[in-house]
Amino acid sequence: MRSKYALRFLALGYLALLLGIPVVLVFVNAFQDGIGAAWSAVSTPEAQHAFFLTLVMVAVAVPLNTIFGVVAALAIVRQRFRGRALLNALVDLPFAVSPVVVGLALLLVYGRRDGWVGPWFAEHGVQIIFSTPGMILATMFVSLPFVVREVIPVLREIGTEQEQAAATLGAGPLQTFFRVTLPAIRWGVAYGVVLTTARALGEFGAVSVVSGKLSGQTETATLFVENRFQRFDETGAYAASVVLALLALVTLLAMNVIKPKEAQA
Amino acid sequence: MSIVVDSVSKRFGDFTALDDVSLEVRDGSLTALLGPSGGGKSTLLRVIAGLETPDSGTVSIAGEDATRTPPQRRNVGFVFQHYAAFKHMTVAKNVAFGLTIRKRPQDEIDARVDELLKLVHLDGFAQRYPSQLSGGQRQRMALARALAVQPRVLLLDEPFGALDATVRKELRAWLRRLHDEVHVTTVFVTHDQEEAMEVAEQIVVLNKGGIEQVGSPKELYESPANEFVMSFIGPVSELSGRWIRPHDVDILREPADGAAEAMIDRIVHLGFEVRVELSLGDGDTTWVQITKAQAQELELADGEIVWLRASTAPTAAAVG
Amino acid sequence: MAVAYLSIVALIPLAAVVFKSFENGTDGFWTAVTNPEAVAALKLTLIASLIVVIVNAFFGTLIAWVLVRDEFPGKSIVNSLIDLPFALPTIVAGITLLAFYGPESPVGVNVAFTRTAVVLALLFVTLPFVVRAVQPVLLELDRDMEQAAESLGASRVTVFRRIILPNLLPAMLAGGGLAFARAIGEFGSLVLLAGNLPFKTQAASFFIFSQVESDNPVGASAVSVVLLVTALLILLAFGWFSKRALRHEE
Repeated sequence: MRSKYALRFLALGYLALLLGIPVVLVFVNAFQDGIGAAWSAVSTPEAQHAFFLTLVMVAVAVPLNTIFGVVAALAIVRQRFRGRALLNALVDLPFAVSPVVVGLALLLVYGRRDGWVGPWFAEHGVQIIFSTPGMILATMFVSLPFVVREVIPVLREIGTEQEQAAATLGAGPLQTFFRVTLPAIRWGVAYGVVLTTARALGEFGAVSVVSGKLSGQTETATLFVENRFQRFDETGAYAASVVLALLALVTLLAMNVIKPKEAQA
Repeated sequence: MSIVVDSVSKRFGDFTALDDVSLEVRDGSLTALLGPSGGGKSTLLRVIAGLETPDSGTVSIAGEDATRTPPQRRNVGFVFQHYAAFKHMTVAKNVAFGLTIRKRPQDEIDARVDELLKLVHLDGFAQRYPSQLSGGQRQRMALARALAVQPRVLLLDEPFGALDATVRKELRAWLRRLHDEVHVTTVFVTHDQEEAMEVAEQIVVLNKGGIEQVGSPKELYESPANEFVMSFIGPVSELSGRWIRPHDVDILREPADGAAEAMIDRIVHLGFEVRVELSLGDGDTTWVQITKAQAQELELADGEIVWLRASTAPTAAAVG
Repeated sequence: MAVAYLSIVALIPLAAVVFKSFENGTDGFWTAVTNPEAVAALKLTLIASLIVVIVNAFFGTLIAWVLVRDEFPGKSIVNSLIDLPFALPTIVAGITLLAFYGPESPVGVNVAFTRTAVVLALLFVTLPFVVRAVQPVLLELDRDMEQAAESLGASRVTVFRRIILPNLLPAMLAGGGLAFARAIGEFGSLVLLAGNLPFKTQAASFFIFSQVESDNPVGASAVSVVLLVTALLILLAFGWFSKRALRHEE
């Protein structure tokens, strides 16, 4: 039985050194000059704007990716068409792409000077790169697969019988979707939404490339953390990090509430 | 309402599920589609419901061609083997589903749901969720849900297949009684010949995508059209190159015209019924079903030599 | 509709990267990826990712084991916290590690701006992959099989090596593949912790970033394509091995 304690000690020790102690230290560092200093660091206009911009990213990217995710999952699981397997494989692609490459890719298409379609948009007065639309696109790209990946197994699990039963009872395709399919997959969708939100809140690399990093303009919360840290405003960096870390903990909590329901449904 | 299926074929890739099948189901009847799995019976039922579209042929319900009508507008009730309960809705909401879709007034829906839950003996379960019901209860809920919209025909796909033996027996008797009360044209799929014989007025035997025979349980048992129907419905044994019901064989203690010599291998007492297992002269084995009284009268014992003969006017089909 | 959305957001931009990398022909591509700075960055990324996969395979499996087979107070909290690296923004992950392993480390361990820091950051962000892949398999694993082996005289070490490990291997490979794909592209957690020192701590994603900043999109794209292809090959290969290891089941 000694080996049991050795294994436990080794596993928990590794987790403490890699995860536990550093996370606690961030909280300690943020409040080393008192709660007041931390609070004023994250309530400056720049900080407020950064958090606001992050919220905008989430508010646009999450609903769009959720709709896409449900539609794509339905297409992959329920429809038979050529290229279905390809779509299924391509959906995962964003997981295999470095955030910096995502930024670069968007730059090459939507860039104002040499992008494929960027100059056309610029002529029509729409700036995508170094502006909010580009950052939204970057956020959408990196958080694209989560809802699809969560919904596909749930759709497979519930099967088609409930949908067929609804059809024989007179429900049209839309009625069947909203009254039967969607309620049946709701926890899967919710779990996907939580993961999408977490990723959208935290995206750094892709947004960093396409943002131009104009403080108070195109600076999201994660970029704000970097900016403060580079300028030796450690309290500001740690305080903003704590806000983001708290959001991450809320995410974890949501995941823990939703996961069992998903398994049960 | 009557159902007429005319020359329907359906293939899934290389597999022919239905091959030029024609069938008539009378208004108000209770029909079983019986056959081994993969025989095409479920596909036929799903074609009638509109859940599958036939490659060729037509389906008419109540005299109207329904071949291209989507399931939503066929007004059929369909009951699935695994209930297809809407898990996120209460029993009452499940039963009300079809009426809600049809935007009926709420008090009418409530009244109808009440009535149906009484009919299927689920009154008092209205506010439960399907996960809080037993398998038999879920299937009764599914039946009530299908009946709520007053369908022209009721279709059941292996309705009792997922239930345990006791519940199954109860529900069979109950379905029979329900049909007597509601009189809706009913077609159900089963692979269990006993279930088909017990419940149905008319049995359709399907095998390899085609219909082998249509008839009443009595007709099928007493004059099977072929070897397949004979062996699928009721027990068979082989005697002198013919299939014969094991209870249509007489055991004689003396040789007689047309009787075959056999040696008793084993006598199995199953209560009222006695099974006698024998070896024939050519090395084949067979078995005969007699009553306890007959066995006592004949005073049979293991290892004895007896003579077997078909009794008068037996049910038989030539061995193919 | 889904395909159009996927194309606008992801596929067309990725195609643009591939096109750009070959703008100056295959020679241009080759020159860009054999640039010594690019080679050093790619080498660092691949070696660090490999180390990370190996460490993860060991510690990830160990953690999954302890979470499934051991009982101790606070286990469910530890279990939930495993996903923290997925939920935590990468820049915060960097700051977090810097707090303990940086110049102001309370225990005096300073690895900031070293290659060790690169490995450390990658270990942090990839922690959940192997744990979450192995855990469900371990939960489902038939305990009778282990008891049967023990009744046949196998020692506990033999049981682990001959019975348990072969059953966990597909999940370890699948989780390892995901961890590797994630590690070679990592950026955010390295920014503050490892920095961007060419030939020293500059990972491939930083090389790409620098090339974008210094207006060399062809060089950036070429290295991006190498990363992309590596990630896809790794995922395919690990997926294939994992399926192969699974094939005698059923």
